[in-house]
Amino acid sequence: MNIYTSTRAAAALLIILTWCLAGCGAPESKPETEVSLEALDPSGQEVVFWFQHTRAREEALQEMIADFNAGNPHGIQVRGEFAGSYGDIYNKMVVGLQGGSLPDLVVAYQNQALEYYTADGIVDLTPYMSSPKWGLSPQEKTDYVQAFMLQDQIRDGVQIGLPPNRSIEVIYYNVDWLRELGADGPPQTWEEFARLCRAARDTPFSGNSNKERSIGFVLDEDASRLASMVFSRGGDFLNATGDSYTLDTPEAAAALLLMKELVADGSVEMMGTAYGDQGAFVVGECLFILRSTSGLPFVKDGVNDGARFAWDVAPPPHTTPEPVVNFYGASISIGRTTAQRQLAAWLFLRWFTEPPQQARWVQASNYFPARKSTGALLAEYFEANPRYRGAYELLDYGTPEPAVAGYDGVRRLISKAVVKVVQGGQIEPVLQRLQRESNATLETY
Amino acid sequence: MSTAGSRRGIDLGQWLTYVSLTVAGLAAALPFAWMLLSSFMTRGETLRRALVPAAVQWSNYVSGWSEEDFGLYFENSLWIALFVVVGTLLFSLMAAYPLARMRFRGREPVFVITLATLMVPETVTMVPNFLTVSWLHQVSPVPWLNNWPALTIPFMASAFSIFLLRQFMRGIPGELFESARIDGAGHLRFLFQIVLPLCRAPLLTVGMFTFIGSWNALGWPLLVTNTPTWRPISVALQKFVTEAGPEVHLQMAGAVIATIPVLVLYGLVQKEFTEGISMSGLKG
Repeated sequence: MNIYTSTRAAAALLIILTWCLAGCGAPESKPETEVSLEALDPSGQEVVFWFQHTRAREEALQEMIADFNAGNPHGIQVRGEFAGSYGDIYNKMVVGLQGGSLPDLVVAYQNQALEYYTADGIVDLTPYMSSPKWGLSPQEKTDYVQAFMLQDQIRDGVQIGLPPNRSIEVIYYNVDWLRELGADGPPQTWEEFARLCRAARDTPFSGNSNKERSIGFVLDEDASRLASMVFSRGGDFLNATGDSYTLDTPEAAAALLLMKELVADGSVEMMGTAYGDQGAFVVGECLFILRSTSGLPFVKDGVNDGARFAWDVAPPPHTTPEPVVNFYGASISIGRTTAQRQLAAWLFLRWFTEPPQQARWVQASNYFPARKSTGALLAEYFEANPRYRGAYELLDYGTPEPAVAGYDGVRRLISKAVVKVVQGGQIEPVLQRLQRESNATLETY
Repeated sequence: MSTAGSRRGIDLGQWLTYVSLTVAGLAAALPFAWMLLSSFMTRGETLRRALVPAAVQWSNYVSGWSEEDFGLYFENSLWIALFVVVGTLLFSLMAAYPLARMRFRGREPVFVITLATLMVPETVTMVPNFLTVSWLHQVSPVPWLNNWPALTIPFMASAFSIFLLRQFMRGIPGELFESARIDGAGHLRFLFQIVLPLCRAPLLTVGMFTFIGSWNALGWPLLVTNTPTWRPISVALQKFVTEAGPEVHLQMAGAVIATIPVLVLYGLVQKEFTEGISMSGLKG
């Protein structure tokens, strides 16, 4: 046997092994889909919930899960498991879809959930929501913030997740520094924002102990930041029919042009490290940051530990008549397992999104609730957290990012495009290429 | 004149070497220094990017250790690393020996295929590996998922370790084997009584590399475990990053604790490690 024949034999062996392993990895049995939902008994089912929360949020969630386990009349036992970051969970799901090992409940962004649904890994929640025995009453259905619910709806009204919470993206601003610069409030337009950024570059904050670094804004290349800037100019990332990205629009070009100019004149810096913008803000080196409201407690603690100044949040500057804010948040989907386990998972999900639990969860997590009536239970919390209340009132102005399969990849393309433009690239060709490559991902799915 | 010039040349060369090595050493040490200093800071100081802590915060180590059940993760990592190192040493030794010393049909293709696996990125093998482990989980009397087998056994076969040991074994004089044969020793006896003691340096090198790889692993452990029972220390470190922001001071305290076993191990095998690298022809 020469090297050629032995290599061929080895290759054949590898192919056979791969084929065998693929066969071995198939799910053990087909899930029961034809059983009537009303006739099912979820008693005693064990349910696994994969989430990304750590530290205080994980602690609060585990306490709530323990309360559900102790109090639900069916004896359902939910086991909450930290499964890593959103990306780690996505990897686990992708691998689990092929290996047939899926959780009963999983945290997923809408575009990720769409991929899981396409691969038959999660189920449509509509039958559960509409079930006379286990579902939601008409009042309960309308109590969910419809814009949040719509994010999880795909063709034919299929509901691939239920929102437990949402966040919005707001401008955090240093009130004391703005006063020192002669401004009496946050910028309402992007021109005013640019003027204040330049003023911040030239006049460092009195509470900044490192006067050599004084900037107006730290630009994070994350796609959600650009989305906020585009939405606030009346643009969008996806067309109304959802079959084409709209990334080469005048709104996107204007947003990038402004950032490019501000970076070039030294009043804006690109973010160098993760959470670098928050770090610069809390020590008074940076006047504005654009971030999720879920970071409110971190900024609060950071400012108290840092430069100790008055600060607040506001909607991003806008050219639209009303402010527009980017809202987002992962939903919870139900994995395709067995009919009984799916029902048990649904019952937990329904419980978790009921107003009392919502009120408890948002106070622990600082997210916004997905049920409108939760607001009535948060009066004291609003009073103690005026910034949270201010941001909560902006929910009516929310616009979501695209919920299409493959958007994760597009987000990476957007980040690259932002960096390329800021580093000197021509805006038009960069955006045209971004548009082309992003649309190509739509064809893939 | 020429002697003086050459002495000046040597001095300049040496000087440049020392300067380069010092710069490289400082560059390598800087992240460690930053980690150590940050681990003693308050959160405010890490946010302010202070260079040194105003007062040493020993409490970070206490909090870091206690708040995320660090002791359990630490112990898990030690067991996992121990299993992987022992397994890798055993299997690599057994695989490297025939590839280095025995003549059989297909030896070279087997070696080439083994080496070729080094070119395959981990992400590509993740799905087939997970499918294999899932299948073994179903058919094996010992559960694989959420248990030590999935975390250790797949990593006991290492192409790099086989390659490193094979390179070293090829340098062992053939006369030694001939002498052993005359004394009645077979391959196994020759391997364990003569080759093994000679391979001390490369074995320790393999052990060190394997230990570090196992100690730092994060992606695979997250994939095959769902509960803390067998999760390694890297998962505990990840938990100090929340969605709202990182708790750098606690994370760095955890990182210092996590680095100690690697440093201790390196201190113990430093001489052999360097020897192993140079003798196996891996040095640049």
